[in-house]
Amino acid sequence: MKHLKPLNAKARRIDADMAAQEEDVVALQQAPRPHVPMGCSLVFSPGWEVDASGGTAGLCQPVERDIYDCYVTCFWPVQMADHVNYSADWASNCAAATKDWRSLDIVFP
Amino acid sequence: MLSRSRLLKSLRSYTALIAAPLVLAASLTVAHAGTLMLGTYPDKLFTVDDTDGAVKDKIKLEAGLPISLRLDDNRKKIYVTTISTSGVVVLDAATHKILNEFSLNTPTEKYRFQGGVPDPTGRYFYVVMQRFDKLNDRYTVSKIQYGVIDLVQKKIVRAVDLDPADDALPGGYRASLMMAPDGKTLYMFKNKILVIDVASLKVVDRIDLERADAASYEDVQLGGGVEGLQLANPNELVSLFTASDPFVHNKIFGLGRFDLTARKFTFTPIGPITNKISGLEVTPDGKYAYTTAFNGETGNKRCEFWKFDLASLKLTDKEEFKCRSRYTLGMSADGAKIYIYGASYDIEVYDAATLKYEKTWDLGADATMAGMIALR
Repeated sequence: MKHLKPLNAKARRIDADMAAQEEDVVALQQAPRPHVPMGCSLVFSPGWEVDASGGTAGLCQPVERDIYDCYVTCFWPVQMADHVNYSADWASNCAAATKDWRSLDIVFP
Repeated sequence: MLSRSRLLKSLRSYTALIAAPLVLAASLTVAHAGTLMLGTYPDKLFTVDDTDGAVKDKIKLEAGLPISLRLDDNRKKIYVTTISTSGVVVLDAATHKILNEFSLNTPTEKYRFQGGVPDPTGRYFYVVMQRFDKLNDRYTVSKIQYGVIDLVQKKIVRAVDLDPADDALPGGYRASLMMAPDGKTLYMFKNKILVIDVASLKVVDRIDLERADAASYEDVQLGGGVEGLQLANPNELVSLFTASDPFVHNKIFGLGRFDLTARKFTFTPIGPITNKISGLEVTPDGKYAYTTAFNGETGNKRCEFWKFDLASLKLTDKEEFKCRSRYTLGMSADGAKIYIYGASYDIEVYDAATLKYEKTWDLGADATMAGMIALR
């Protein structure tokens, strides 16, 4: 590629795109995946209102069964408290989320 | 009226008649009785009687939420790691008493690691980790590292960055670890198996086989201390692996056996992969092994238990079961029952011989992803 020179606008955009891929900024889904720093703020995954196919059949039934493992692994941070940095005690009064979810703490961002 | 001696003799006979079945029943109960240990939210370890599902101990961990459990090779100690404070807890396997408990996090220094493996002396605990430092003007984030935790000094005494090529393999700090009984070789299970010299913490060999993959299987791996660790011989690790040929990349699955001391690996193909397969639970006598396989996604998902005869390396039985969206496979200490648990507060019990559902035990607390260990 170094012997080729872009001559028109489209070629320049392609060249810029190729160069951009060598920079130190990568998408979270792009390989090789970057290391996610401590905390949940850089994890962006869809919420649990839908599953991977856009439906609800693949979700845990009820969804409260899945809530804690998401809380710990930062899997759905938009809906979840941040276990690592700010809300370590969010679930301290509620051992079984399905049964006593009303005891979960309230988080004010 | 009976004389005193005849009365005593009769009583002894009756006592013997009554006691014999009781002793027999007790011995049968003892033969099958075991204890399960699993992590529960928000900060406890539960021990559960595997005959009736009763919760016996609720062990509170000051170090926070348990994220991995591991029984050492001689089944004397249990090693637990926690995610809340990057803690390490060591318990006595017989009494379930906490022998050692500490956290590595400080206000300015934090770590992230999942499971780990103790060395044969029990002095050092090996993890794959990442370190975060809060400085006056910035945070620094380390690369993924091998870490050696001194359980006496209660701190990390060695940390070595992974080779960039090994770091690029999927798994991060959640990669599973095993150690040879002689303490000289560490194994890391990513989609390659890395053979690491403990003295230098350098990779000396890379084996191109992947562990069995399953998208909705919980992240309980070898480093989590569950699967493949129930063999009588601690030098031999048995697990399901996948492999593909280098020409048409046809993917197959099979049983892999590791001689951990000799660093020798054998792989026996069983069949092509037509569905997704979870990890492997091996009976204590090493004769049989169980896994779960599933086809389909979301509402069309169908799950099966698969039973293997390890002597002939044959798939001998299958049975469909009603599966959860996300679950973990477990096994009782005697290998007579298999369990489906995780992403909930209960354990579903299946008979290992018939693969049929029997009952559900309610623990009253959600299980963490630390997995389950069976104590005899």
